[in-house]
Amino acid sequence: MDKPTGNRSETIFDRLASDGIVKRLRELDVPADALVWHRFFGALLLVLLVLLFLSGAFMAFYYSAAPGSAYDSVDYALFTVPFGDVIKGIHHYGWNLFLIVLGVHLVRAFLVGAYKPPRQVVWVSGVIILLFVPTFIITGDLLPWDQKGYWSTQVRLSIIGSVPFIGEFIVRLLQGGPLTGIVALTRFYVLHILFLPVLLSFLIAVHFHFLRHRGLSDSLSGNNHSNKSVRFFPVVVNRWLILFMGVTLVLGLISWYWPSPLGDPADPTDSTFVPKPEWWVLFLNQLVTIFKGPLSAIGSVVIPGGLAGLLLALPFIDSAPERHPAQRKRVMLVAAIIAIAVLALSILGYIKHFRAPHS
Amino acid sequence: MSKQKKVCFILFLVATFVVLFIFNSHEVIGAGKQSVTAVKVKKAPAGSDDPAWQKAKAVEVPFEGKEKFAGKKASVTTKAVYTDQEIYFLFSWKDTAKSVTKAAWAYDGQKWSHQKGNEDRISLLFEINRINNFATKGCAVVCHVPEGAPNAKDGKFGTSSAAEKGDLWHWKAARSDPAGFADDTWVTVISEEKGGRKGDAGKGGDTKNITEDKSMPKYMLAPGKKLAKNDILLVSHAAEIKDYSAFKAGDTVTYRMPKMPEGSRADIKAVSRYADGSWTVMLYRALDTGNDDDVAFNPRKKYNFAMALFDDSGDEDSYDSEVVSLQFGR
Repeated sequence: MDKPTGNRSETIFDRLASDGIVKRLRELDVPADALVWHRFFGALLLVLLVLLFLSGAFMAFYYSAAPGSAYDSVDYALFTVPFGDVIKGIHHYGWNLFLIVLGVHLVRAFLVGAYKPPRQVVWVSGVIILLFVPTFIITGDLLPWDQKGYWSTQVRLSIIGSVPFIGEFIVRLLQGGPLTGIVALTRFYVLHILFLPVLLSFLIAVHFHFLRHRGLSDSLSGNNHSNKSVRFFPVVVNRWLILFMGVTLVLGLISWYWPSPLGDPADPTDSTFVPKPEWWVLFLNQLVTIFKGPLSAIGSVVIPGGLAGLLLALPFIDSAPERHPAQRKRVMLVAAIIAIAVLALSILGYIKHFRAPHS
Repeated sequence: MSKQKKVCFILFLVATFVVLFIFNSHEVIGAGKQSVTAVKVKKAPAGSDDPAWQKAKAVEVPFEGKEKFAGKKASVTTKAVYTDQEIYFLFSWKDTAKSVTKAAWAYDGQKWSHQKGNEDRISLLFEINRINNFATKGCAVVCHVPEGAPNAKDGKFGTSSAAEKGDLWHWKAARSDPAGFADDTWVTVISEEKGGRKGDAGKGGDTKNITEDKSMPKYMLAPGKKLAKNDILLVSHAAEIKDYSAFKAGDTVTYRMPKMPEGSRADIKAVSRYADGSWTVMLYRALDTGNDDDVAFNPRKKYNFAMALFDDSGDEDSYDSEVVSLQFGR
């Protein structure tokens, strides 16, 4: 009797020839230390990123990337499609939360000296992600084609244009012409939904790759569980899914009760509209305000670039093995001065743009 | 997790949401643009003195005079409330004289002639479909465009394309208020004949009370009927005049007789009062009438509108407001 050609006990993974990947994931162990509460921010970032991708994909179904119809398509997605404003709200609030958690994630890594050898590349890849993230905001803000997005983009492009040598070229590359019109909108859209997500996914994969090979940083208290391990599937995955559902619910409720704003349609002839800077960029905005005219490059390039360079070079500047903050007084002092300066500039910017009369 | 860590964690979450709200709930309306917030009320206001209006914040909307009112200013105190079904606006403005004449007929004992005098009005324009740049420039791109603009001709106006549609609410002290309504009209692309202004589906507006030779009124109050508010004769209460000798010197008869509106044209109801040198007008309408010629209000959304005030004047002489944002409170 002939042997049957089909094997009924095959799983869907076997049939998709992905059984090897599934087997590896099932057998993958991660240090139990990965589940401690202060490492929660990395998982939260991943949750928010998935939510941003999903909500963004939903909005893309209804979006029309042309100045004459972009605003109406967003308006339709928000107020005609059932729960459209909730999904847009998840995208809006999720993005802001993502920035906050990303900052907290970085601060935590800094405080516990997670950038120290052998994890320098983990830190560097994380900082690159941090520096890369604003490109999403620059490209995404323009898409609704509302007053705030349009005029914020004009301000940002003028700042980019002030960068010596390459500024004008980058602006022309983004705009595709002398004005912010249909070509610019199309380019921003393609960047926002295609190139940047792919690039960010790649950067995150690189970050995880380094994390897996260089390992988690030990606890400062010495009370770590790194000698214990838990199964990635189902322990880690299940916890992540619970976090995902919880965050979705919370952001959904916030979006329901406080819908994300949609301003007036963009009017390129209305130069009276003064966009208010986003909270995360207040200190940069203040720098640009302080350094004007021939010194503008100091506020728009030198100081921000210097800070970014300092962050990237930190593992190589402070390479001593001590990780406890009390043993890194010099680094902590410099960081505190920078943090106070950033906070002070942000507060000044907040007062100027949100609290001052006629703001 | 220790208690201290739990507290830190909760503080982090609270701080995060505080930051989110402070920086993201700010209004995204343009610089200087006023905003009227419609407050949600359980019980609809029965009139302009209803306690429900105390919950709504009054906004003083400034108006700039045009043409014969050029250089003059006016202001309208504006409030709004809404229920699950309807939206209510309350407007009040100073006006030294109540004007409801609208060229009414006067008999001097020998012949009929039109009295001098127009009427007081207030109009509101909302977008049904987006009107290009209305959100920033308001009526300056629709109703009061400069001479030579592509969407204006011979005093008529409209939008620049058929896709742009506006909902024009027009309260007229002599021609709509006596019937208890504001005229519900809409604005679309300008045409040669009548501009872009059209009445909503159904019946409404007013009828001229005039004989074919245009020398005298054709209608008078029908037996058993009463004149409406401001002594205005409604079309539904009119009867053809058979015996002109019954009139004596000093008698007046309405020239523009309001019709009782029907259909979509009857969507906006009005309650008004003139007292102590001020008009108080309450307009109300279903949030969503289901009609294509009306703006459908979604309380989760913001709307732009602009207003015009007419003080005993025709269309060309008005006080115009800037664009005002309408939002719905919870």
